[in-house]
Amino acid sequence: MPDQSHRRLTRRSFLKAACAGTALAAAAGQTKVLSGLVAEAGAAAAPWQSKFSACDMCFNRCGLIARVENGVVTKLDPNPKFLKSRGMLCAKGNAGIAQLYDPNRLKYPLKRVGARGEGKWQRIGWDEALDLAASKMKEIGEKHTRCGMWFTAGSDLQSQFVTRFAEVYGSFNVTSHESLCLLSNNRAFLDTFGEVPFADVLNSKYILMAGANRFEALVTPDSIDLMTAMREKGAKLVVLDPRYTKTAALADEWYPIRPGTDMAFMLALSHVIITENLYDAAWVAEKTSGLEELAAHVARYNPEWAEAECGVPAADIRRIARELAAAAPEAMVYPGRRSSDYENSTQIRRSFAIVNALLANWDRPGGLLGAREVGLKKPGYDAPWYDDNPPERADAGRAPMMFEEDGSYVLMREAVLSGEPYPVKGWFVFKTNPMQTAPDQGKTRRMIDTLDFMVVVDITMSDTAYLADLILPAPSYLERCDPATALQGSSACACVVQRDPVVPALFESRPVFDILKGLAGRLDLAEFFDFDIETYRAQQLAGLTGAKEALEQDGVYYNPSKVYGIYEGRIYKTLSQRIELFNKRYDQMGLDPLPVYSPPKKGPDKALRLVVGRSAIHTQSSTQDNALLNELEPTNALWLNPADAAGLNVADGEAVEVASSAGKGRLPARVTPDVPPGLVYMATGFGSISPTLTHIHGNGCSIASLLADGYDAISGNAALHETFVTVTRSAS
Amino acid sequence: MAPQLQRHNGFDIFIHWFNAACWLFLAATGLGLIDNPALNPLGNGYPRVLRALFGSGGNLLLAHEIVGGLWIAAFLLYLVFNLRGALFFLREVFSVSPARDMTWMLKKQIQMTMGEKMLLRLGLDPHLPPQGFYNMGQKAFAQAAIVGSLVIALSGMVMVLSQLTLDSDRTILVAWAIMLHYLAAGVVFAGLLVHVYMAAIAREERPAFISMFTGTVPEDYARHHHLLWYEQVCGGAAPTPPPGALPLDPSRGAAPAPRKGG
Amino acid sequence: MSAQYAMIIDSSRCIDCRACVAACKVANKVPEGFWRNWVKQSLPVPVAGKPGRGHFQPGACMHCEKPSCVTACPTGATYKDASDGIVKIDPKLCIGCGNCIPACPYGARYRDPVRRIADKCNYCPERRAQGLAPACVDTCPTKARVFGDVNDPESEAGRLLRANTNRLVRVVNTKTDTQPHMYYLAATAPLDWPAEAVIRPPMAALIKAVTPGVSALVGLAAVGVAVMAGREFLAGKSKDHEPRDRS
Ligand code: HEM
Repeated sequence: MPDQSHRRLTRRSFLKAACAGTALAAAAGQTKVLSGLVAEAGAAAAPWQSKFSACDMCFNRCGLIARVENGVVTKLDPNPKFLKSRGMLCAKGNAGIAQLYDPNRLKYPLKRVGARGEGKWQRIGWDEALDLAASKMKEIGEKHTRCGMWFTAGSDLQSQFVTRFAEVYGSFNVTSHESLCLLSNNRAFLDTFGEVPFADVLNSKYILMAGANRFEALVTPDSIDLMTAMREKGAKLVVLDPRYTKTAALADEWYPIRPGTDMAFMLALSHVIITENLYDAAWVAEKTSGLEELAAHVARYNPEWAEAECGVPAADIRRIARELAAAAPEAMVYPGRRSSDYENSTQIRRSFAIVNALLANWDRPGGLLGAREVGLKKPGYDAPWYDDNPPERADAGRAPMMFEEDGSYVLMREAVLSGEPYPVKGWFVFKTNPMQTAPDQGKTRRMIDTLDFMVVVDITMSDTAYLADLILPAPSYLERCDPATALQGSSACACVVQRDPVVPALFESRPVFDILKGLAGRLDLAEFFDFDIETYRAQQLAGLTGAKEALEQDGVYYNPSKVYGIYEGRIYKTLSQRIELFNKRYDQMGLDPLPVYSPPKKGPDKALRLVVGRSAIHTQSSTQDNALLNELEPTNALWLNPADAAGLNVADGEAVEVASSAGKGRLPARVTPDVPPGLVYMATGFGSISPTLTHIHGNGCSIASLLADGYDAISGNAALHETFVTVTRSAS
Repeated sequence: MAPQLQRHNGFDIFIHWFNAACWLFLAATGLGLIDNPALNPLGNGYPRVLRALFGSGGNLLLAHEIVGGLWIAAFLLYLVFNLRGALFFLREVFSVSPARDMTWMLKKQIQMTMGEKMLLRLGLDPHLPPQGFYNMGQKAFAQAAIVGSLVIALSGMVMVLSQLTLDSDRTILVAWAIMLHYLAAGVVFAGLLVHVYMAAIAREERPAFISMFTGTVPEDYARHHHLLWYEQVCGGAAPTPPPGALPLDPSRGAAPAPRKGG
Repeated sequence: MSAQYAMIIDSSRCIDCRACVAACKVANKVPEGFWRNWVKQSLPVPVAGKPGRGHFQPGACMHCEKPSCVTACPTGATYKDASDGIVKIDPKLCIGCGNCIPACPYGARYRDPVRRIADKCNYCPERRAQGLAPACVDTCPTKARVFGDVNDPESEAGRLLRANTNRLVRVVNTKTDTQPHMYYLAATAPLDWPAEAVIRPPMAALIKAVTPGVSALVGLAAVGVAVMAGREFLAGKSKDHEPRDRS
């Protein structure tokens, strides 16, 4: 008798069907007996229990199924019904188990007893820990106003509670990880299209990718859709990247563009598109504003000029412009994600957005898409008002278009260090590690030294936690009940996932929600945390019929909302209510309303530019000590072009000293033509200070210790690629 | 009953049959443990049947290892309890008088396979040179069995240790052990065919066979087959010990206690 | 026709993310420092503007038609299961002699340092028993791998194999063509990596000298015994066998 468990559909056929039609229809029908997979007929009862969850090894939150044997998670598998990830789980996702069972995890609250950074800790109970934190927060609030506390939360489903806590406690000073990452890109697209788009890579025929490395910096579904589009639909991928990344290696064309000159290339594209009339005139006339200004602006930016700036041959620029236009609107200049590179990165990314707008790659298959309706409710609350608070965030007024809700880490650090505009003396950090992810580690360290109190909630003792006064152990995502969250993956889906504990929390770890609740109780704020996550979730899901059932049955809920044409009859959220080629607000604020090219800053003589990048193995600085991922990518090295290496008399594998204005470090050189002369690269997250991170303590070099602390003038996003280093052969 | 001479003591008898039983079992299971198209001496049917018989190849291996371990342990105990007997045995087995013993060996083989007439036809003296406690055939087999067993026991232990302690960079030892184990077992097995035939089937050696149960042989048999030993025990015209042979010291040979019986 | 489970890999889809490697390590509790599968890189010196020259090649045990590891295994602990074509290891029968490890020209095997026996990809039987694909196939982001019975024309693998008969590429070493059942669609790189299968000297001696030698010796002894028995029982026992006194 054929067992029901034999009736599986193949993942490929499922996904194909799901991509083609709507997800729900495919999930219901289209099954196919997968005789190929079954070892023996009459399979035995599963040796494991299967529980849904959503990954937390990076920000993508891929749906997964945890296999639990005798209370132990033994395997994490992709949830085949989770369309945003296209039913996959990457190396990091698979390594979630190593995070859960990491022997280096924090196990109980620790109070610093030695000097900061000395690494002397005392184990304390939770009551004592929460009492201590609450009393310190109270003290700081009374002494410096409540804005004297700064709250920083990483990307996590519970981070919203940190924001909520900060708000009800009374501090404006909340920063996220985002100001070290993608805010300038968000700014640019928001200030062009009125929102931050999703890229419909799957249906695109021509993808121009600059400042993005989708086959290494995995973003779902873009990374996967890119391959599907290329191999199954014949899409063309053109990559501009100074570094020969894996994305470059797999591209149809790759140009090692000079670092910091992407804007020159994009302006030249606009130039060709306008001068050769390649744009969708009717569409542009109907939906955009500022074509005339743009045409006039880019008149001088011809491909020959661009070639001189960016190093890509003018003929290729012209050809790419024509090819892109021919493929439009099923084409795109891929928006990218991390844009924390240059001091004019918002303007650089504006030049990307403008090409898309000219070619009408918007709100249609294969182009850029607006956010879809998911329908998750945000349970509201009325935060109290504190009269004595200063008028603004401490980092305000330094970057004209900084996001209020995200702030700017780099600028906040300046504010804390200088005590201007007002003293900030306390720091609550949840699951983020600025010591390793933010530029200028030394400065972060100096900033921490000025604090009266610093508490870190995390899973392991990160370099940031290592400097705290109080460390509180958090459980991993597999041990928690988390609120529902809405996710969108281009045309793939608009969906909701949530988490329930797959196994009970290990050691004495407590979720940040419980910690905040405990603090709220001690700070007379209990009324704002008088719920548990289940009830919160019920409020979030209210009105979404079938959501609860779908989450239980499939681990994911899809809202079959409109994918394309969502802007039909709608206005754009810009000043002109149109897609702004020419940005009116910038004009009013005295900023360049159109991206004006300025060549990248030159470093000192003989200095090399240091750039940041990602691999598919590690997430920022959070996974390098994960036993499994560390095995896959155990350390970092300085990528150095053979010409530079020869000049420095450095052989492959030899140790080098790297010094920048921020600091210095030592690591082996990897002499490779994969970086151009004048440019060096190293992976993030190694060379940890914290000795409990046994795999990476003293292993490799921390890029954070070298990166200079520039920032994007418009958004306040960090500008990591404006770092110049000198490299010398290591003495020993 | 004819007068008897004591030939084996209880330890010897026990260890011999225990050894024989182990050998039969170990050879049968060992052969079943080889399963490789390039090696299978009996085709792949034999290992398959044996594995089926034991439930799985793993069980077969385990049984072979356990019995092999018992076999080694039994010999160690035997050495503890009957060291003198063992030493006597070793001395006898390794005392070879080349001229006499080789002549015996050669003539015996011709005699056994082609008959005495052949000896005559070849112009040889049909008389065989006299033999001691063991004849050269027995000595040859015993030598092979002793050296072979040592090799088998040691290589077997290397193989077992391979799974218990041996690091990956030492596995070449295991590979060599397998090869030696097979070689030694094969050589002894070849000898064993003759040994078993001579001891259990050939009529002329029937008294020896019985002695492996009773411990004694008729004087008459001893005189005919092991004249040198007979003369030594019964004091007859004591021959000069064969060159190279260790002088027999009955006072030390307590174990087989050569004495007149009856 | 009996089944032949195999993998058909479109390595041009591989992005070297090594999800398969991580999934395999977890699913099979592969000890630190060892791997049952891999992704090989072919990254010639980059040339600006030129189309994709990089290629990544996922791989694992190829469950060959003529597995050299099986030849190297004296006990049959490594065997090709006739029912499903999978080259398997019976962990209870393996004594960890290590012969099979250099015998695999693809380096697909390792000796587990804890269990001290040979190990390698076995297509995740525990998962398949539950109707799940092998861990590497299930997790692969770009779906570069298709797994199934290539002898079953109904299976996806079987269909792919039939549809691409002329385009399938196998990674082989000319000196030891083990006829792998790992098929790469259209093209793959690198192709020059498989090493020669090495049968270690003791095993070679066992095959080439010891086995024939021992067989000959045992045969000779058997013939001797037969002749003696023949003389004794058929030809009639001659009286003259009695050893004579020295005279
Ligand atoms: C089951 C079959 C066997 C039988 C019927 C058998 C019988 C005998 C007998 C009757 C003797 C006494 C000979 C004498 O005292 O003159 C003997 C001796 C001996 N047996 Fe066995 N035996 C058998 C198996 C084995 C095996 C398997 C081994 C070892 C591999 C072995 C090793 C010896 C040795 C070393 C001696 C003493 C020297 C010699 O007679 O060659 N026997 N056996």
